[in-house]
Amino acid sequence: MSTTWLPCGNYHQNYTEDHAWWQTKFIKGKMIFLALILFIVIPFVSDSYMLSVCNLIGYTILGALGVQLLIGFCGQITLGHAAFIAVGAYTSTLLILEFPWPKFLLDWGLAYPISIILSAIIAGVWSVLFGLPSARVKGFYLILTTMAAQFVTVDLIITQYISQIGGRGQAFSLPPGTIKVGPWVIDSDFKVYFMMLFFVIVCTVAMANLLRSKVGRAWVAIRDNDISAEVMGINVFKYKLLAFFAAGFIGGIAGAFWISNLAAISPDHFPWFWSLWLVGVILIGGAGSIHGAIFGSLFMVVIMEALQIAVMPLGDTFPKLLMDFLFIKEAVFGLAICAFMIFEPNGLAYRWWQIKNYFNLWPFSY
Amino acid sequence: MFTKSMWSKLLTFIFAATLIIGFSSMAGAAVIKVGSLNDMTGATSDVGKDYALGIAEAIHYVNDTGGINGKKIKLYQFDYGYRIPEALTKYNLFKRLKCVAILGWGTGDTEALAPTVARDKMPYVSASYSGHLCKPEKTPYNLFFATDYSTQSRGLITAWYRKKWPTKPDYNKRKPRIAMCYMFASPFSSASIKAAKDQATMLGFEIGPDQDVSLFAIDTKSQILALKEFKPDVLLHTNTVMSVAATLRDSYALELGADNIIKCWGYDENLPKLAGKAAEGAIGCAPWAFFGLDVPLMDKVIEYAKKYNPGIPLEKRTIHTVQGWASALGLAEALKRADKVGDLSGPSILKNGFETMRGYEIGLGIAPATFTATDHRSQSEAKIYEYKNGKFSLIDSVDLRTEWPDKWANEWLGW
Repeated sequence: MSTTWLPCGNYHQNYTEDHAWWQTKFIKGKMIFLALILFIVIPFVSDSYMLSVCNLIGYTILGALGVQLLIGFCGQITLGHAAFIAVGAYTSTLLILEFPWPKFLLDWGLAYPISIILSAIIAGVWSVLFGLPSARVKGFYLILTTMAAQFVTVDLIITQYISQIGGRGQAFSLPPGTIKVGPWVIDSDFKVYFMMLFFVIVCTVAMANLLRSKVGRAWVAIRDNDISAEVMGINVFKYKLLAFFAAGFIGGIAGAFWISNLAAISPDHFPWFWSLWLVGVILIGGAGSIHGAIFGSLFMVVIMEALQIAVMPLGDTFPKLLMDFLFIKEAVFGLAICAFMIFEPNGLAYRWWQIKNYFNLWPFSY
Repeated sequence: MFTKSMWSKLLTFIFAATLIIGFSSMAGAAVIKVGSLNDMTGATSDVGKDYALGIAEAIHYVNDTGGINGKKIKLYQFDYGYRIPEALTKYNLFKRLKCVAILGWGTGDTEALAPTVARDKMPYVSASYSGHLCKPEKTPYNLFFATDYSTQSRGLITAWYRKKWPTKPDYNKRKPRIAMCYMFASPFSSASIKAAKDQATMLGFEIGPDQDVSLFAIDTKSQILALKEFKPDVLLHTNTVMSVAATLRDSYALELGADNIIKCWGYDENLPKLAGKAAEGAIGCAPWAFFGLDVPLMDKVIEYAKKYNPGIPLEKRTIHTVQGWASALGLAEALKRADKVGDLSGPSILKNGFETMRGYEIGLGIAPATFTATDHRSQSEAKIYEYKNGKFSLIDSVDLRTEWPDKWANEWLGW
């Protein structure tokens, strides 16, 4: 078999070839090219606004990956993911500010990295707690139980109790220099960008690997038909909870990462609307595809920012246009979901797959 | 007839053209660019809309009256819906657009951005008036044209103690009793509680149990019932108007019998509409004049409201429009002073603009503003109004700097 070009048809001779990440030299080349763009071109060419947009894309991807896992791969509809992101963010913040870290860990800049791992675990466990009703309910009823996560976690526990730890202006203000990874103090969009890349790549790879394992196949089976999955011997409840844990874990990483971009944290950062937004992201990107979470995030952030910049010159003629842009943005969000549901129900990921196939077969497509 | 592909080509062309025009416009002409973050649709939009309209109208006024020494202000005004991630990217967009200063909004964006604006040396004139933002050592680039929350609370307590307490039957028989209603977890609501308690203790009040009232509260009966035993003479409210109105209504219905003193965001023209009879006699601190009152520049505020937003009836406009004007005019004055020395960088706007203001009179019923390199409390005077017989009247003015000069200078800065 050619190691440069993948021939038409499937000529894999063993599972290793079949499951290889990069199956040909050409694909490897493409990925190296992408890495060059991500690691060299974007950070060194972009100004801080572009980098902050990239960071927002990364944050959206990390949030959307968890939602994709639950909705797209395991069929468990969630509208409370912002709560798990909040748990991650608050756990990490509290650990950094309040935990009596040994001095050498602080000196080596390990407090924040360790707090990220712990935040992810705690957010995962918290997510499992709200996944428990999935044993008994599904569909609309599950939507309501996951929404409860938002109200219980953010509006009650975090707002009323957690926010009071340490007194106002102490616990949740993150003074410059607090967020440190090894010798680097994370104090600019440039540094946050590299952290974002690291987390997005690690989470994407981990999720992709998980999905092609026994666990991933069990999730997909549950999504397609939970009764059939149970008949086949899959412990449906266990795997549903595992999905909630994994989604919460990634959500926790998203929250813990996001604090590196902030100087202060408050419950305002995690509104319920963000959970809804993340569901919109995967619907536009394509449910049931990791690419979907990435394309959806790119679409939702880049298109909205580009639209905003595009309407700016019109601001002179129509001064209220800039102020009303949020209305436009929300209308575009709603319209985009409607349009995708009608014209491209499989999302951008499917379109990407079609484009790839077109070029794979070019010039002899049929 | 247009075919499908022609339509898609046309749409693509329009989109691309708009983008190109948009990006190319970012290379600016000789104007001074100012960013404005507002909340028209989010959690604080009940008071945010009017503030945003006031900002836009005031900038039109500045431009119509000579701009910044002949240069026009180009205002980039965005609604961020009180969403902090949105505020962070908007801030970076303002930097990219080369805005020289920002008119910010609430506690959420102001606190999230405070260290960043200090690092970037970007003057940030907010509508969050927390006393915590007044210490230049900590937050050098955060400024506002208003009486800070702590001064407001001290002034309210003092004014009530002077004007109302002597009229009570128990005057000279016992200590006056005060209790405070606010959202514990909200940095905005709780910002001035420490100062309020300090002032109450200093004046010899007995302080009752604090009551946690959410900013979104519509029922506060349990909090009012909890206060019945303490029998407060006066309640201090530090939430926004919807929540304050709910507390006033319940306090009236349950016959608590206490007077009400209210911080600026809970005291506007909508309070009587929301609280009805319960608002009668409510005392509040308003650093600016209410919309339509006879004070310098109010004619312009009304004229520009009619001119630029004729669709909004004047009777629906509130004091928050005047607030927006105050922030915009204050910033414009700082820009004029900095521009005169030919340097519109952040440090110059701070040093040659704001920090040269000594008793600067904006008009609009605002006390004169003073900023120094060591103290960013622009005003020491709390203007106290009372709502009676359908109108707001000025009943007192407490100048903390004059009355407690030592404490003002040495103790009360930054909290």
